[in-house]
Amino acid sequence: MQPHDETPHVPGPSLWPVGFAVGIVVLLVGLIVSVYVAVGGAVIALAFGFLWVRDLTAGTPLAHADEVPAEKPTGVPLPAPEGGPAMPPAERYPRSKFLELSTLGLGGVIGGIVTAPALGFMVIPPFLHQGQKDHDLGPLTDYPEGKYVVATFMSDPSQGEVSRRTAFVRYNGPVGNLPSFTIISNHCAHLGCPVQPNGPLDSAHTKTFGDVTLIPTVSIAGFGCPCHGGQYDTEGNRIAGPPVRALDRYSYSIRNGRLFLGAPFSVSHVVGSGADAKISKWKFSYPGEHVNGIESWMYPIQPPH
Amino acid sequence: MASDRIVERRRIFQQYKADVKERGKPFYPYAMFEDTVMSLVVVCVIVGLAIVWRYTTPGDHHTTDAGWLGKLYDKPADPGTINFVPRPDWYFYFLFYLLRIFKWPNSVLLGTIGIPTICLVLLIAIPFLDVRFERRLLRRPVAMVAAGLVVISMGVLTYKGATAKEALGSELLADVPHWAASEHFSNNATAIAGAKLFAVSGCLNCHTYNGAGGHNLGAPELTAEGAKNKGVAFQIAHLKCPSCVNSGSPMPSFAGLGQANLTKLATFLEASKGGK
Amino acid sequence: MATRRLTRQQQLQQTILYPVDWLEERSGLVGGVKYFLFRKVPGDTNWFQTLGAATLTAFLVQALTGVILAMYYKPDPQNAYSSIQNITNHVWAGWLVRGMHRWGASVFIILMFMHMGRVFLYGAYKYPRELNWIIGVLLLASGLAEGFTGYLLPWDQTAYWATIVGININGTAPFLGPFLAQFLQGGTYINGDTLSRFYSIHMLLIPGAIFALIGLHLYLVVRLGVTSPPWSKEAAGTGPLADPSSNGAGTRSGLVNPRQRKGR
Repeated sequence: MQPHDETPHVPGPSLWPVGFAVGIVVLLVGLIVSVYVAVGGAVIALAFGFLWVRDLTAGTPLAHADEVPAEKPTGVPLPAPEGGPAMPPAERYPRSKFLELSTLGLGGVIGGIVTAPALGFMVIPPFLHQGQKDHDLGPLTDYPEGKYVVATFMSDPSQGEVSRRTAFVRYNGPVGNLPSFTIISNHCAHLGCPVQPNGPLDSAHTKTFGDVTLIPTVSIAGFGCPCHGGQYDTEGNRIAGPPVRALDRYSYSIRNGRLFLGAPFSVSHVVGSGADAKISKWKFSYPGEHVNGIESWMYPIQPPH
Repeated sequence: MASDRIVERRRIFQQYKADVKERGKPFYPYAMFEDTVMSLVVVCVIVGLAIVWRYTTPGDHHTTDAGWLGKLYDKPADPGTINFVPRPDWYFYFLFYLLRIFKWPNSVLLGTIGIPTICLVLLIAIPFLDVRFERRLLRRPVAMVAAGLVVISMGVLTYKGATAKEALGSELLADVPHWAASEHFSNNATAIAGAKLFAVSGCLNCHTYNGAGGHNLGAPELTAEGAKNKGVAFQIAHLKCPSCVNSGSPMPSFAGLGQANLTKLATFLEASKGGK
Repeated sequence: MATRRLTRQQQLQQTILYPVDWLEERSGLVGGVKYFLFRKVPGDTNWFQTLGAATLTAFLVQALTGVILAMYYKPDPQNAYSSIQNITNHVWAGWLVRGMHRWGASVFIILMFMHMGRVFLYGAYKYPRELNWIIGVLLLASGLAEGFTGYLLPWDQTAYWATIVGININGTAPFLGPFLAQFLQGGTYINGDTLSRFYSIHMLLIPGAIFALIGLHLYLVVRLGVTSPPWSKEAAGTGPLADPSSNGAGTRSGLVNPRQRKGR
């Protein structure tokens, strides 16, 4: 590198400033950590700082007094050094398939690393841990034989009101020595609208305990859906309108004389009624999905419920 | 032939650009002025609607009563309700009514997914289905007819969706005095009790009475049932076992209501002479 | 610089233009804006062609009012309804912002349909504007999806049950329907996560897509130009008669009665 007189002095590449900076950092850290470290940092900073300043001032005329004077530019312009510019730029950076592919590949890897967990976070949780705990619906004595009771409860009390559900519960009398219940979900099997009982409610005898409310009915002739006109009979079979199957039912268990509501399941149709009913049980499916017949091939795999 | 078309349409487009460059007007301010005026209209309409919505809602604004433009809000969400008729926002009414048209279980998929998807695909495909250069309206009969049909059918479907009424027990109960007045049985306590039972027992899911109820399931209109003079005993027998009286009838049995309630219902039906 | 003393007006102009020039030299943006503003459009554009700008205005109203509403709305099932009541009844001009957002949605959708109808009738989806039409249809679908997801946010009866039906409609799609429904719901049933999901989709996912699509849409409009009405006599693209060897296709470019063109 030849320093020219006209150009301002440009310091050459050098590590002294880096050393100086390191010294300053150690000094500051030492102020917090320990005095000896600070002293060490100060020594480093001073040493490198001295070297740096020496380099900076090396280009001044004072320093150059005993050096060979720089060549004065002659009137004849020197030809630019050969070797690079005359050739087309492409030659300096020949096409590299390897670099191209690696850039794209690495980019893809980075993209994958960033988006995969995020996408998984978005998509996977709705499909995990979807089961619900059994819910206490009260003593068996709350359920008169042969009459439906409109039972409202929170399927997951920790979630609050948003988990409120309604089921129509009817005690059918004993089968052997076990009580038989018909528990029908109130979500229409067409598109999930709330199904109404077709009959008057006996609101005077409403019972409430915890998050459960039980309203007996006087008598109902079936269920009707107000959205698109679906009609069901008292066993939940579809008798008119667009519902694609019978109303879903809940399984149940009896513990200590109390009724416990279990997991729901889907029903294609019910033959018979009450305690003698033969229920065609299928895996729980969303409203609008056929569970049997030719249309059921459209829903071969159910997500984990 | 195909490349002739391509060459031709490129030429037309280049000609278009040259013509616009030569004879066109600058977007600002000529066309932008019109855009700005229209935008002002839009903003004023939106603000106006907001004002009307708020200030025509009666009473305290915590109310769930409807003003001229509908309610400010409904009651809080109740996932366990058995007393509500869901409806989408008005611009989905055409899809909503499509679901009511396809009321056979095997056709549900057509109404929910089939037809909307086909329409969307056709919409996207329009530039590839219509490759003629022609833009003059009168020389595009297929386009005009298709546009007309689409507009008319969406309009009709939206209107029918908006006016579709479903029988909701609580609302119908409130209608009972009105029925009593128009059918002239206000002084008949049994008939009134029967009317209330009629309102909550889901009868209007299938039947129609005095303008209320479901039309699309084909059950008979009952507004003037009493004028047929079938007698209370007949009505009770029919309610107990509809398919015994009317073979093939899909109507379920209401025997569970008990003799007393059935008598009230039958009295109500016989008192409904269809009066005005 | 012939004279070194500029008039007051020229001095003022220079002062005002200085920052503009500063920006232009460093970014080129000012030139872009000027190109957008002063580009030529056909001389006989119609008032119907303002529907696109009107739709954009409606969307911007929605975006602005939506962002403001988000400052007061609480997106969880316990508090959503009461936050809406609060906005409507207590927050200063809250009723106005909420009303604008709610009715702006309807106006936005109506205008989109009207704009789409206008573009269809003008044949402005034909070459070379097919891509713009497709982007427009995607914008329509996004707008409707915005309406659907936003409808749940007040968390009242209408909101909750209309959303249940909407999710189940999605669920009836073959094969992937049940997965889509469970994904939207955030679980087997609507739960506390559903509202957050819909809020995120409504506030972030779809508006992001809409902004990007609108950007593309407007870019294409500027690049490809605005059409004249199909009944235009002044119509662009009807220059000298086409090369006879092209089967008279040029005379059927459809903008002007061919007989008239001979007289020009």
